[in-house]
Amino acid sequence: MSVSLIVGTPKGAAILRSKDRRTWEEDFVLRGWPVTASTRDDLGRTYIAVNSPNFGVALFASDDLKNWKQLENAPRYRPEDRGNPEHHRLIAKEDFTGTLKGGGRFVDQIWTLHFAHGALFAGVSEAGLFVSRDRGQSWQPIDGFNEQPGREGWAPGFGGLGAHTILSDANDPNRMWVGVSAAGFFRTDDGGKTWQPKNKGVNPAVDSAPASTGQCVHSVTHDPRNASVMFRQEHRGVHRSDDGGDSWTVMEEGLPVTELSDGHHCSFGFPSVMDLKSGSVFVVPLDGDNFRFPRGGQLAVYRSKNGRNWEPLTAGLPQNCFTAVLRGSLAADQMTPGGVYFGTASGVIYGSDDLGESWREVASGLPRIMSVEAYAN
Amino acid sequence: MSVRVQLPPVLRTVMGGERYLSAEGSSIAAVLSDLARRNPSLALHFFDERGSIRHNIVFLHDGAMVRAKEAAARRLKPGDEVVITNALAGG
Repeated sequence: MSVSLIVGTPKGAAILRSKDRRTWEEDFVLRGWPVTASTRDDLGRTYIAVNSPNFGVALFASDDLKNWKQLENAPRYRPEDRGNPEHHRLIAKEDFTGTLKGGGRFVDQIWTLHFAHGALFAGVSEAGLFVSRDRGQSWQPIDGFNEQPGREGWAPGFGGLGAHTILSDANDPNRMWVGVSAAGFFRTDDGGKTWQPKNKGVNPAVDSAPASTGQCVHSVTHDPRNASVMFRQEHRGVHRSDDGGDSWTVMEEGLPVTELSDGHHCSFGFPSVMDLKSGSVFVVPLDGDNFRFPRGGQLAVYRSKNGRNWEPLTAGLPQNCFTAVLRGSLAADQMTPGGVYFGTASGVIYGSDDLGESWREVASGLPRIMSVEAYAN
Repeated sequence: MSVRVQLPPVLRTVMGGERYLSAEGSSIAAVLSDLARRNPSLALHFFDERGSIRHNIVFLHDGAMVRAKEAAARRLKPGDEVVITNALAGG
């Protein structure tokens, strides 16, 4: 059994392969393309999403991680779709020729790709959800999500109004979840026709934001086979739900709690991931939204084995480390024992082959790392 | 009327490493449409959701820089070369 890591950076994708999870071969593909997300389908085909401020959003696919072919189509809004005014305001600085003045809605980034029940889903900014049922050859907007009431009032996070998290239920193809910064977490129970906010028990990102759709969800993880037990890394801390997101409770025992810019205290961070065999959950806390680096400069992953409290894992991780781990940059290979990997904003990949007990540097010298996915081959 | 088009490096990835393509058209906009028709994978890189040429694309033709909004009016002669590049910033 071998492992492959797909690492997204603003300058291309690093492909890392290992037969023993200790020594790694590295390749760097799609050079020049910002790589924002990847996933793999049930036939073993890997998809990579790219976006260029000059040449738009596209998808590449490969069956061997060496030969990449661009797909002819990618998620796109309709010409008549209307954009979110706050998202336009945020990205206007890059709109040199006034394209946004027409009020349109544009796909400016694919934040996440997710394969479930034979379909490929893409979460994008400006926030929306698209599906392909022919392995990326064509894409359709999921209007139930993209046109839901209240959307025009959603407020973007600093990275824009992005749909960055998609989760599915292995036992129910009609149930799915999507996370949007900074509008919160949404669930459908009818195959995408209607969606409901699932943010009860989670504080809005700022006190003035709407209580129902003002949450800045950063990531959510779960086991699709036991889909209703969920763990959520929010701007306002880490939460757990046992009812598919209907309600959330704070779960921060053992985590570093730091001060946010508005004076609230919680455990701030971005990514989360679960090792499905053990049920262990991993997060990477940062020192609040002011500093966004590990508290005290000690890079640390935190693990919860019991779904109730957390323990720090630092063996092999550096001190005096003032970088961040971004939303999509933590992954698990789902082997036994579980392998966990993360990439930093300063271009280093760390990996563990013992559920986080010890860590090793897998690669360095990469650009800012925006996404990491791990696959057992 | 045939012209030669030089692709930027990232789009050469899309075209299997090809640096130059041939296309037909009497204006830069017409050439871009012809390229997209012949090579469907390029279409989404040239045109946005509203069918407009992506605003950060810049063309070099006959010693001049041509912005996207000028592409329809920029006339070409047989054998011309058009370089597709993008707006630059920094320094």
